[in-house]
Amino acid sequence: MSDSLEKSFVKQLTDNQNIVHKICRLYTNNEDAHNDLFQEITIQLWKAFPKFRGEAKFSTWAYRVALNTAITLYRKNTRTVATVDFEKASYFIKQEDYNPEEEEQLKLMYQAIHQLNDIEKALIFMYLEDKDYTEISETLGISEVNARVKMNRIKGKLKKILNP
Amino acid sequence: MEELDLLKKDWNKNNPFPQLQEMDIYKMLHKKSSSIVKWILIISILEVTLWTAISFCFNTDEYLIKNHSEFMIPYFKVLTVVNFIVTAVFIYLFYKNYRTISATNATKKLMADIVRTRRTVKYYVGYNLGMMVLSAISGFVMAIMVNPKIQELSHNTKAMVIAIVIMIVFLLIFFGVAALFYYLIYGTLMKRLYRNYNELKKIDL
Repeated sequence: MSDSLEKSFVKQLTDNQNIVHKICRLYTNNEDAHNDLFQEITIQLWKAFPKFRGEAKFSTWAYRVALNTAITLYRKNTRTVATVDFEKASYFIKQEDYNPEEEEQLKLMYQAIHQLNDIEKALIFMYLEDKDYTEISETLGISEVNARVKMNRIKGKLKKILNP
Repeated sequence: MEELDLLKKDWNKNNPFPQLQEMDIYKMLHKKSSSIVKWILIISILEVTLWTAISFCFNTDEYLIKNHSEFMIPYFKVLTVVNFIVTAVFIYLFYKNYRTISATNATKKLMADIVRTRRTVKYYVGYNLGMMVLSAISGFVMAIMVNPKIQELSHNTKAMVIAIVIMIVFLLIFFGVAALFYYLIYGTLMKRLYRNYNELKKIDL
């Protein structure tokens, strides 16, 4: 592949790296695994890049490939154990305006999300990224109605985890 | 859900990740992938090579001449041609399915494509195992028909039963080892994919 293509890819991925970091945060529970998944996503993005024609935003295109890599292609088992280490679940959490109560809540929330399965995490990820249900259903290949139903169930599940 | 709203706010505001430089990304591009698709490709190539080697290297002509069954040679020639065609068709199908696998597709389609590619190999291995059983049985029958020593033996019911039992036990052990081997390799490789695939299918039920 040509140098200019490589250059353009590296620039765009560097600018949009947070989207990949966010997915790695959801699907791994320590820094090594995070970096390993980031590496695999980068390779998969690069492999798919020649087909990226710029019809969508780079970030929109990248999050789909990244999500597919995390859920499907990545070989190592990224499923986190049910009892996640409190610190591990919340690594990379850094509050700008320090608010102990909010931080505690966030930690618990991340810990709860880590207990979801791979598909549920994908839905939560897209919800947090403000994707609409049309996009969620297209990304996962499920119907829009069922995506909605599933999302409500996940919210219920999270509530249950947080308030057992 | 109040906590989810809080998380969403934090999610979009706080990105406390150590930022990678362009140089770091460059380095990553040239590292090797360890995706399951790559592993399926490697294992499949090994499988096909192994089975093609077994089915084509085995010199049946020599065996047939030794056993005074030259009349069978034309049939085996036909079988060799059939084997060639099946292998060629298989490689074509595998390649075609493999090419459809793309990380830019919807997750469910991506999973379905991987499962289908894997299934193609499974059928090919199944075909080869079936052919092996068939060869073992026909070899056995042929030996009874043409080998005078075995013919003599065939009048002895007890010896025949023992011979058949040994053959069946041998085949069962062979299948058992093959099944265990597959279970270990593909079981670990595909377990997560199947779990997620079923989860996705369940959503749309």
